[in-house]
Amino acid sequence: MKILIVLAILAVFVAVTSASGCDKLQRLKVKSQWARAYSEGHDREDFSQAIWRAIFAQVPDARALFKRVGGDDTNSGDFVAHSLRVLAGLDIVISLLDQPEALQAELSHLQKQHDSRHIPDNYFAAFRLALGHVLPAQLGRCWDKKAWSDCFEVIAHGVQGH
Amino acid sequence: MTISSSKMLRLVVLLVLAAFCAAQEGRSHCCSAEDRNIVQKQWSVLWHDTESSKVKSGFARLILLKLVEKKPEAKALFANVDIDHPLGGAFTAHSVRIINAIDMAINLLDNQEALDSALDHLADQHHARAGVKKEHFTAFAEIFAEALPKILDDYDNMAWKSCFEGFYGKISGKLDA
Repeated sequence: MKILIVLAILAVFVAVTSASGCDKLQRLKVKSQWARAYSEGHDREDFSQAIWRAIFAQVPDARALFKRVGGDDTNSGDFVAHSLRVLAGLDIVISLLDQPEALQAELSHLQKQHDSRHIPDNYFAAFRLALGHVLPAQLGRCWDKKAWSDCFEVIAHGVQGH
Repeated sequence: MTISSSKMLRLVVLLVLAAFCAAQEGRSHCCSAEDRNIVQKQWSVLWHDTESSKVKSGFARLILLKLVEKKPEAKALFANVDIDHPLGGAFTAHSVRIINAIDMAINLLDNQEALDSALDHLADQHHARAGVKKEHFTAFAEIFAEALPKILDDYDNMAWKSCFEGFYGKISGKLDA
């Protein structure tokens, strides 16, 4: 009986730890692949444009959320600035993936910034799908889909707060 | 060949106007295309390693701690990001946030319109924090300019100075004091 309980607890523990995904090695992989994709200067602007166009193509209604920051024209200075701000936030959490305490602090900071904006879950899904297409386009073969989807989940949950 | 006095007058007016514009639009006159190139290139050296977040947080942490050493009254402004525990998660994340804002501005140097918009947003964020003063930015600028050449082997003082003057001016532009 006792052994059964221990086994059951062990089974639950294994299930929980493996289901959470985004382990240490995946985090390192995501970090290094992100650094390459994020790039710099004009390339970064193009990378960001591609992501936002892919988002708006999926959920055109999402543009309304970005009216104040030039969302009607993704080429406008205001929108380029905003889109890079968002990617800079993503850059912070990705680069902190291996510093759990600081990662948590940044995720709750981002959560606070997003809370008041009432962003539906499907917009986060659109962001995830956009990343899932633009990243491999940018990186070619050296892109680990599983690592990204596991770690993006950690990030999205942190920002959404659920 | 002689120039008539009316032509001379027109030339003088034009020159004064040009000088005025140059003073107004400091960035297009200073921070030239080549200056921007140099700054971007020299800055990018810091990010080539995967562990750039350790570099980012460490560097920004040192600068902020130096800032509050120089301007002790500014320390209270960072209370909500737990400056009393500079190695803790909250302050580490905040340090990375600041360095990333600088990184964003540098990477937008060749898109003036977007850069202005980004700096304007940062100005709003600092305006919203009561107690932040222009002199804090002056102190930050001095510390930053002293620190950079310590971590960058290649550092062009004039290029950095001319491009960063515009940054600080804009970010602190909405502060009352």
